Amino acid sequence: MNEGTLDRKRFEAIEAYVMGRMSDDERARFEQDMATDPTLRAEVDLQRENTMAIELGGMDRLLKQVRAEQQRTSEGSGGNGWTTYLKYAAAIALLIAGALWWLDRAPQHDRLFAEHHVADPGLPVPMSLPAERAGATNDAAFHDAMVAYKLGDFAEARSKWTSLLNAAPGNDTLRYYIAQAALAEGDADSAVPLFEQVAADAASVFSGKARWYLFLAHLKRGDRTAMQALHLEDDAVYGERARAILEAFEP
Amino acid sequence: MHRTTCHPWIATHWTSAIGSRIIVIHTPHSLEKATTPSTTEPPIWLEGLRRNDPATVRALYAAHFPAVKQYVLANSGTTTDAEDIFQEAITVLWMRAKEGGLDASADPGGFLFRVSKYKWLDVVRSAAHKHMKVVHDDRQLETHDEQDHDLEARIVRLRGVYDKLDDKCRTVLDRFYFERKDLASIASEMGVEEESIRTIKYRCMMKLRAFRRTISGEDQRQA
Repeated sequence: MNEGTLDRKRFEAIEAYVMGRMSDDERARFEQDMATDPTLRAEVDLQRENTMAIELGGMDRLLKQVRAEQQRTSEGSGGNGWTTYLKYAAAIALLIAGALWWLDRAPQHDRLFAEHHVADPGLPVPMSLPAERAGATNDAAFHDAMVAYKLGDFAEARSKWTSLLNAAPGNDTLRYYIAQAALAEGDADSAVPLFEQVAADAASVFSGKARWYLFLAHLKRGDRTAMQALHLEDDAVYGERARAILEAFEP
Repeated sequence: MHRTTCHPWIATHWTSAIGSRIIVIHTPHSLEKATTPSTTEPPIWLEGLRRNDPATVRALYAAHFPAVKQYVLANSGTTTDAEDIFQEAITVLWMRAKEGGLDASADPGGFLFRVSKYKWLDVVRSAAHKHMKVVHDDRQLETHDEQDHDLEARIVRLRGVYDKLDDKCRTVLDRFYFERKDLASIASEMGVEEESIRTIKYRCMMKLRAFRRTISGEDQRQA
């Protein structure tokens, strides 16, 4: 059953049928196809079962949540209301105190970095490979890592891209996104040499952006001299922001 | 008919008690009064379960867990035991609702209590509780529905499939298939493009498909 691949168009047609999202006409046509195509019937059954597995996972999660809510309700109704209120108030006060402490104590360059750094949104992840081949090619591995990056799993993305860069050391795209992931993790020391190489490569489409992120990586490290050495204040795209940061970053 | 003020569609009825010689398995007297579920009102709870509505699940939990907890506590169990079996009972009810195994006149309270009860009896009879020296008169024990056994085996299988998914896939698939959110909403929540979510969904589903094909192949080889 279900040998071979299932392209996305066919998958989405089956999905629409299983989820009841077809019009009456579409459904009728689809059911006619199923009547004469045992492979399609098997795919529908399989997808229905997989969908049920996912829904069951969701229901398990929801029930755990409801159970925890009920426990809190029981505890709340059995205890002193003021005690609960005071616990929450104390927790909020602690959080506010912590935030104030951080704002007061965090180095100026860290605060400026946090204020100005927005990680590169990443490249679109196209789908052209069947799942059976996913992971078998560098393209698939690159896009897997990009998915991790977009979901905030920077360590995973960095690890996967680094493996690919070892096999293709001249690839500026890999170098740029590894640096992005490193900087997003707060590892500016690792990001700087990578951004430097991409910024120095005038042929790279990432060159301009790499200069801006190199500037931010230096900011993260508190290295004002290195920031100034980039002369980004005159840049048409990033100049205004660079000047504002340098003005705010007192020597 | 017993009704709650918040959820007029939630009615309860309970079946007879069973006896034991050392630990007495009993149903609280107040629960033995049979009640008749309404058949005139639309089964909102059933529709809610079919579309995975969290409010319906919360209402069922709030309305019917206290009785199950009372039963388990009265029969050597703890609150955690009661929570565990009630969670499984709701899962069985939900599966039945999803797969058309319940009709409009079904009484969710009675169903949940019955399933919770046989599950608790299974626990009491298990090796872990043998030291309690519980001896039942089996002639009085309710039989565990064969259909429920099959359903529970299926639930175990489906959980095994779900376990194969990584966190990223679970996040996206859960929101699309369980919460029934559209791709644009999921993309907005996760701060990525809609096309990326569509691709992630497809690839995750293909991973599941490949896994299921492997399992199917192993089953055929074993056969």
